[in-house]
Amino acid sequence: MNIESPLLASPLLGEVLRPEMTILIGIVLLIVVPNLGNATIRIPMTKFRIPVFLGGRRFTMTSDPLIPGVISMFVLLLSMAASLMTFVDGHELVNVCISASGAIQQGCLGSDYILRSDPYSRMFTTIFFFALLLGTAAMINRMPAFVDAKAPHPDDTGATRIHAIRRLLNNRRQGDFHLLILFVALGMSIVALSTHLFLLFIGLELASLAIYVLVAFMKEDETSGEAATKYFLTGSVASAITLYGMSLLYIWSGSASNYATASLSLVGPNGLAATWQAMDSVDPLAAIGFGMVLVGFGFKISAVPFHFAAPDAYSGTSAPMALILATASKAMGFAALVRVLVVMAMPEYGTEATWLLLVGILSVITMTWGNLAALSTENPKRMLAYSSVAHAGYLLAALAALGSGMAGAATSRLLITAVAFHLLVLAFFKSGAFLVLTLTEMKGDDANKMESLYGLGRRDPIMAAAMFVFMLALAGVPPLSGFLSKFLVIDGIVTASTASGSLSAGGAIEWLSSVHWVFWLAVAMAVNSALSLFYYLRIGQVMFFETPRSIRPLPEAPMIRIAVILCLFLTVLAGLGPFSQTLVDMATMAAQELLRV
Amino acid sequence: MNSLEILTLTPLAAGLMLLFLHEIVPNQAKEKATDLIRYANLGIAIILFLLATQIGFETDWLDTWAAGNFGGQNAYILENTPVSLISSIGVTWHIGIDALSYPMVWLTTLLIPLSMLVQWDAEKGAQFHSLILIMEGALLGVFVVLDLFMFYAFWELTLVPMFFLILVWGGSDRRYAAMKFFIYTFSASILMLIGILIVYFHSAPAGGFTGTLTGHHFDMVSLMQQSTLIESAGLRMVVFLLLLVGFATKMPSVPVHTWLPDAHVQAPTAGSMLLAGVMLKMGAYGFLRIAVSFFPQETITMIPLLVFLGMASLFYGAWVCLGQTNLKRMVAYSSVSHMGLIFLGIATMQPLGIAGALFMMFAHGLISPLLFAVCGSFKHHYHTLEIGSMRGLAHHSPFMAGHMMLGWMASLGLPLLAGFVAEVAIMIAFWMTFGWWVLIPALTLILTAAYYLWSMQRTIFESSDPHRGILPDTMHGEEPRDITWHENVGMFILGGLAILFGILPAIFFDMMSNWSSGLVSEVLIDALTQLEVTP
Repeated sequence: MNIESPLLASPLLGEVLRPEMTILIGIVLLIVVPNLGNATIRIPMTKFRIPVFLGGRRFTMTSDPLIPGVISMFVLLLSMAASLMTFVDGHELVNVCISASGAIQQGCLGSDYILRSDPYSRMFTTIFFFALLLGTAAMINRMPAFVDAKAPHPDDTGATRIHAIRRLLNNRRQGDFHLLILFVALGMSIVALSTHLFLLFIGLELASLAIYVLVAFMKEDETSGEAATKYFLTGSVASAITLYGMSLLYIWSGSASNYATASLSLVGPNGLAATWQAMDSVDPLAAIGFGMVLVGFGFKISAVPFHFAAPDAYSGTSAPMALILATASKAMGFAALVRVLVVMAMPEYGTEATWLLLVGILSVITMTWGNLAALSTENPKRMLAYSSVAHAGYLLAALAALGSGMAGAATSRLLITAVAFHLLVLAFFKSGAFLVLTLTEMKGDDANKMESLYGLGRRDPIMAAAMFVFMLALAGVPPLSGFLSKFLVIDGIVTASTASGSLSAGGAIEWLSSVHWVFWLAVAMAVNSALSLFYYLRIGQVMFFETPRSIRPLPEAPMIRIAVILCLFLTVLAGLGPFSQTLVDMATMAAQELLRV
Repeated sequence: MNSLEILTLTPLAAGLMLLFLHEIVPNQAKEKATDLIRYANLGIAIILFLLATQIGFETDWLDTWAAGNFGGQNAYILENTPVSLISSIGVTWHIGIDALSYPMVWLTTLLIPLSMLVQWDAEKGAQFHSLILIMEGALLGVFVVLDLFMFYAFWELTLVPMFFLILVWGGSDRRYAAMKFFIYTFSASILMLIGILIVYFHSAPAGGFTGTLTGHHFDMVSLMQQSTLIESAGLRMVVFLLLLVGFATKMPSVPVHTWLPDAHVQAPTAGSMLLAGVMLKMGAYGFLRIAVSFFPQETITMIPLLVFLGMASLFYGAWVCLGQTNLKRMVAYSSVSHMGLIFLGIATMQPLGIAGALFMMFAHGLISPLLFAVCGSFKHHYHTLEIGSMRGLAHHSPFMAGHMMLGWMASLGLPLLAGFVAEVAIMIAFWMTFGWWVLIPALTLILTAAYYLWSMQRTIFESSDPHRGILPDTMHGEEPRDITWHENVGMFILGGLAILFGILPAIFFDMMSNWSSGLVSEVLIDALTQLEVTP
């Protein structure tokens, strides 16, 4: 079905991009709703007010501090459901592309399109929306109306008291926060959807700029400003390098005399993928441009050597934001990285990719560095940040196996499935861990100190048990979901790398020398997983062994507790049984669609 | 759902529910709820024991297993229709029991209610007894699953309740012991996991078991039927050794036994009973079920290593026992010593020897819990574990002294008690295979008798004053008393069974020897001919 008529195209556009449209509606709602009843409309993030001369004071209901959070959660939930619709059997708009002119086409074969809504992109938008939803849920009970907000003094009476209460019943700050969250969601889904590098960059920047502000949002905490500055500086340098790389790719894709053929689109007859495949030997211009593009993605997934800002950002900002950085932002980096590597520069079967050595070496360094650094830190948030670095290394190993050219169709599918599945389940247990840290952080315990977890088993047994399960899942202990995802990666690497080696070689040494070197990435992964157990179990040890520094129970915060229990169930169920199969099938669908291009 | 599935899944589900129930009960009703939960746990455990016994009678195990059909398609009774658990990588819920696992299953269901009974008045009883019930589920899982992945998962799951039992209810140095126990055995099982994964990568597609994404499977029955599991002889040996390390650590065998004494001394009585009674047997069970059955050639090549490990454990364990002053530590080392006999029995490669090893697993599973129960009540009533700090136990606590006597006699291998049958079977088979080398293990058994008799003399008898005896300082003037009725019931049952199986070992010994004959004729003889060694 090819719809050329613009009249028909516009209603369908809303249908194809239903999650994004929902978010746009949410953004409008978040701007309008808090101003309802007011004679002025405030421009978000500022103190400017535009008079509209209709109305007086704000309604009490719309200035409720909970309203923005509720809107944002609701919108994200709807968008997630809309994203998941792609995976429902019999859904019509499974694989739909949108060209620059807004034309919509089903099937996406060979033509020039810029946005693509297929199981691959929808898999990732689901991950983003889920992680952002958890972040929103964690923030909803937590943010005071002002940096120096205080409950009214008990001696206050009359007007003073009413004034103090009214001052607290204000949702300007919450409104700004959740608006930024929705911008992040929009930017991230553009990244997942786009098959055009420039559009991808715009999405990346939309998400990044919002995240820079969000990292600094909790101004109560002195370190958050510092963290955000570091994150912003490194992030913007990485973005600049990416942009420069894109400009080089653009120059390379056209010829010196004829810029008409120059394009940043990945697909299509003039697309980068076609140009890359047509190249006889690697063009230095293309290689340099390509490498520079990867720098930006490397920063997002916090791969060594672009990871230096990550631990500072995680530990400096609030735990819910660290959650978003560790799951959604990382998944965004991988969505883009995998799309670019697979669609543009995937090698022919039997030939090694140009980027194989680079990715392979980075993978080993990333996982080892992450684990060694995590071992030596006494700060739970930093530890989780470094564990996030290590996990990036595991996924890069899967990509290296993909680039070895030894992976057949089935193995390539398995490897991409593993990457997508890992990022999905990471949103369960890594989020869960940060949610528990949010709980400890809320009543003034410093979540940057291991002491805040001391004796958690005595203070709150259920949360401590949940945290322990999350740690075991991160370490990859069977039968939790963390094991399954790691297992799929290792299985893919082993299958790919031993394809040439003869499994029946006489001695073990002979056999080892007959396999492709990518096999050693699997070994490195296994060794690193064993190493990582020490610091994950250490969390268990301090929770159950050490005497607590304070015997205060953790805050009630029902929303966060529900989120933690949800994460706990998902972590366990995604490792075993029919639910895990559903998720793996989703990831397989995504992988199949990506490889079909 | 067949009765075996019910038997395996009930304790996990019930234990978790009861554990959670206690958390959500409001504070004012906690005390009443604790009692109810304890009774519920004990009731469920007893019902499960009856169910396990009934499984034995219902399926006529004597007839079914007498045929000695080993390994093959119909070797397992109560085998369920495999249910796919993680179909992408080929994990199935596939369970069944045979003559190797049934005695262990029965033993587990027996020991769980007894250990609850012996420590009936433990602090925080609701959590304590729920954890024991969860433990039962994990242990039964290890013995019944026929899927390597699930085997490994249950294997690790047993660590969790035991870890908390030691950590929360243990002795003064419990933190160190719990952490050492966890890290030590966990590291060893990671090596085992690597071995399992290598096996997995060599599995050929097998019908419904095969993973949709990977094309491999974890099913033990199909793996057994695969003609050549791993073609490379070198890799095969690597896998065998990896598995050996994993299983030998659990058993435990010298030199990887050092976690055991600490864990035992610090564990609560019920924990020690389960640890010695069932958890150690997991090592021997896994070794026979996976390492020996999958890699018979490597087992035969490695017989010298097995004999060495067995002899070293047997001798070293007994030797260290002689020097122990701590009662529990002595019993723990005697476990190391007896586990050495299991390796020796397997190394004989005779049906009789392997059957002896199997019976040793079972008999030790009755005797060592009895010993640990006695140690526990000794500690409970006399507040010490030092041998020689008190004399004349027989005078103050006649029942405790009686159980202690019976346990030690059974453990040192007195005829007509369960331990003797196993020891004799192993010694005869050892003589048949290795000739006069049998003198070394046989003479070591004298050491066993020596350390038991010596501590018996110093603890139970030898009172300078026939009417008072010597009471340990830790009593602080407290009047000595005898064991409580629930401890007594538990110990009587264990002691009675030790006598029963000493007089009528055939109840389990027949099917064990059938299974062993099956293992030898189906698997080991082939391997011997392939290796061109005359049996």
